[in-house]
Amino acid sequence: MVILTCHPARLPRAAALWPMALLCVWVGLGQGCSRSPRPQEGVPFSRAGASSSPYPVIIREVAGPPEIATGLLDDKGQPVTVGCATCHSTKAPNAAARLGEPLRDFHQKLAGQHGSLSCLSCHDATDGYASLRLADGQRLPYQEVMKLCAQCHGPQYRDYLNGAHGGMIGHWDLTQGGRVRNNCIHCHDPHAPKYPTVTPAPGPRDRFLKEEGHERK
Amino acid sequence: MSESKSKLSLPVVGEVDRRTAIKAGVATLGLAAWAAAIKPWFEWTAELSTEEFLQKHYRELTPAQLQQVLQRLTEEAREATGKNVTVKDHKPIPGVQFAYALNLSICIGCRKCAEACHIENNHDRPSNQSYIRVFEMEKGGINFEKGNAHYHHAVPAKDKYYMPVQCQQCENPPCVTACPIEATWQESDGIVVVDYNWCIGCRYCEAACPYHARRFNWEKPQVPPEEINPNQSYLSNRLRPQGVMEKCTFCLHRTREGKLPACLEACPTGARVFGNVLDPDSEIRWVLENKRVFVLKEELGTKPRFYYFFDK
Amino acid sequence: MNAQREAVSYLRFLRQALHVATEGGWLFYTWMFVLTAIALVGANAWAVQVRDGMIRTNMTDHVSWGLYIANFTFCVGLAAGGVMMVIPAYLYDDHEMHDVVIIGEILAVAAIVMSTLSVIVDLGRPDRFWHLIPGIGKFNWPISMLTWDIIVLNGYLLINLHVVGYLLYTRFCGRKPNPKWYVPFVYLSVFWAISIHTVTAFLYCGLGGRPFWNTALLAPRFLASAFVSGPAFILLVMRVVRVGTELPMHPGPSRLLVQIIRVAAVVNLLMLFSELFTLFYAGGAHLASAQYLFFGLHGHYGLVPWIWAAVFMNLLGTILFFTPAALERSPTRIIACVLCVVGIWIEKGMGLIIPGFIPSTLHEIVEYTPSLTEWKVTAGIWAFGLLLLTAMLRVAVAVFTKEMALQSDREPSTRASP
Repeated sequence: MVILTCHPARLPRAAALWPMALLCVWVGLGQGCSRSPRPQEGVPFSRAGASSSPYPVIIREVAGPPEIATGLLDDKGQPVTVGCATCHSTKAPNAAARLGEPLRDFHQKLAGQHGSLSCLSCHDATDGYASLRLADGQRLPYQEVMKLCAQCHGPQYRDYLNGAHGGMIGHWDLTQGGRVRNNCIHCHDPHAPKYPTVTPAPGPRDRFLKEEGHERK
Repeated sequence: MSESKSKLSLPVVGEVDRRTAIKAGVATLGLAAWAAAIKPWFEWTAELSTEEFLQKHYRELTPAQLQQVLQRLTEEAREATGKNVTVKDHKPIPGVQFAYALNLSICIGCRKCAEACHIENNHDRPSNQSYIRVFEMEKGGINFEKGNAHYHHAVPAKDKYYMPVQCQQCENPPCVTACPIEATWQESDGIVVVDYNWCIGCRYCEAACPYHARRFNWEKPQVPPEEINPNQSYLSNRLRPQGVMEKCTFCLHRTREGKLPACLEACPTGARVFGNVLDPDSEIRWVLENKRVFVLKEELGTKPRFYYFFDK
Repeated sequence: MNAQREAVSYLRFLRQALHVATEGGWLFYTWMFVLTAIALVGANAWAVQVRDGMIRTNMTDHVSWGLYIANFTFCVGLAAGGVMMVIPAYLYDDHEMHDVVIIGEILAVAAIVMSTLSVIVDLGRPDRFWHLIPGIGKFNWPISMLTWDIIVLNGYLLINLHVVGYLLYTRFCGRKPNPKWYVPFVYLSVFWAISIHTVTAFLYCGLGGRPFWNTALLAPRFLASAFVSGPAFILLVMRVVRVGTELPMHPGPSRLLVQIIRVAAVVNLLMLFSELFTLFYAGGAHLASAQYLFFGLHGHYGLVPWIWAAVFMNLLGTILFFTPAALERSPTRIIACVLCVVGIWIEKGMGLIIPGFIPSTLHEIVEYTPSLTEWKVTAGIWAFGLLLLTAMLRVAVAVFTKEMALQSDREPSTRASP
């Protein structure tokens, strides 16, 4: 077995909302299909049973509950962060909040642009925001965020499971090497999931091509 | 004036008179002028090795000859770049036929694929060459007449979609048919390749390709040694000579080792799906079976192995 | 014994031919000197292009063929057009034509050499030319149309060299040519002439990805225009031969050629009109190239002056050919010939090859104007072709005027002849 590590530099810019170390977990491989590299639905974040493919497909995992910068620096110059429960254990949840603005502390810069969802649609206030919350009220660890996304984004999740959505690096042939795949939130900021506009890489520099003639308004 | 009586002497050696001498002198001058005129040709051929000149077609090389060729190319590349370049030969994997699919709903036109291709395949730096051209298209149709490969604004722009075009690795490739000397052919895994040491640079294949997928080395490609990708293959990303054709090989130096192509890995949105179409469990098969895919210029009967699809 | 004598007299023929071809008056020497100088400039430009790469040309991945292939196409037509003297001479047994048919064949040889050179200078790797030689190279026949073209062009060259060489040689020996040795080849050359231009048209119209070329009318149009440009060029050559040498020329053959041109020019214009009607009336994506060629596209007008100049020259040339003066030895005929030759050179070259690439297969517009290198090389090819044509005509005239003959072995005079 070869343990693959993540290469954040080669992967697209993550949403970077939770700047925590990234972990890798084994992910389920198809049972029955000898070559199937698809993570099976329902078990994408847990290591599945034996597979005949010698190399795994790994989904870059996200860290646990988020922490928030206090604006202070410690002795070593590192920012001091605190967990949600530090404040939220004593504060009553605001069920109506959808954007950062109505909240007084810490959350102002949060861009809440995710349909009509409110904070509590996804965050579980009952355990001090240390977990996510599925639509049926079930608690979900942050690491399994994809399951939360999949509740609404079925087609994308289906495509993802079948390898037709989301960036990846590694091997197409899992008998020759493994593969590392992005998690939903590496590309989509959960609070503003629309893929951001980017500046494109430089285009072709053809001889004699008069661009102004071709570029249309 | 009455020279050269018919004496049945060797007819080529006539008597020499003044007029003939002048002619000979002028002819000598003419030859000297000719030699001077084509001197640049010899400046160029001086850099070419006899082995390269006499090298047989790739598919006619014995394994031992191929090893010699690879070694020669490796040595030449190391000498030219000062880097630890290796030129390997990657054969098609039996039971594998590649196909590629691209999700146009997801592609944002960031040109990361074209950039990755540029780096991976040791493309000419000044022209920013790449096997991939990304077209900004107007929604409402697949009309290249309204497409534009030279956009500079933030992407994706409103009411636009983006269409990267590269070699479609046609099952019925017009470029292969066109080539007068079999310098380009289709391999068993579907990849159309070029033997850069056999191509004479007539560019008939480039005229024949309906997808603008082929590129010609109008001059020797310039890549700074420190930027060279040292993992090279004879039929793909090794440094190309001047005056020959080249094209996308689905990164065969990667894909024939089981790796994903460079353009797929670079894609930040996961718009690209690649795999073995003969494997019923492969992702590419899932896409072909479950998405409404289409190919470019289907009416030409080229049968591309490169598919496009929209999610919505 | 006989074979030996034959070999000796043949070598004698070659030697005298070489001698005669380098003999002439000051006009002849000036003409040859200027042509040699231009050919050398062309050779140098080509050698530089080989050394520095095709970047010396203005071709690009978008317009990947340019002036060279344009000129190639025209020269193939010129060679094919020469056959228009062979058909009346042999198929209709026109005896006046028999005497001058050799001019058409000599022109065919020179034109084939020019078209071959035009392809060679277009190669990125001329050093690998041997890859094209069947047997030691890898000749993709019968799949690639280009291999067909190589076969028919070289075959046509050999057939014409044989016929020209045989007829001149027997005349040189004072013998009557044995029909067994040349008549079959003459008939073969008729079909072959049509094949060279048809196959050359198939090079382009066989490409499904280039709608501008992908038309069944291309080969007939090629032939029709070849039967204008070829005879027109021959008329010019005949005028030069008549004025510059003692060779007696009958007015009959020229009149016949004018008649041929009249028909072919009308057919050519009719087919061009038919093509344009189909393109412009139906419209659609296929129209883009024609639109670019005739009216410009999206602010690009590179070929518009070229094609209208060609249309104007072809129309005026055709009208002039229909005047009674064209049937006489008049300046009108010369002007008409020049107009048609130049008009067709543009129409079949820049007007046919370049728009096939504009817009590109992905509808990008990159324009093309030949670079100085391309002009130099093309001029060099023409100079070399004319050099060859002049030398061969000089020998032919010398044989016909008995200036050069085996029996008398009279030393050729040094009279002026251009």
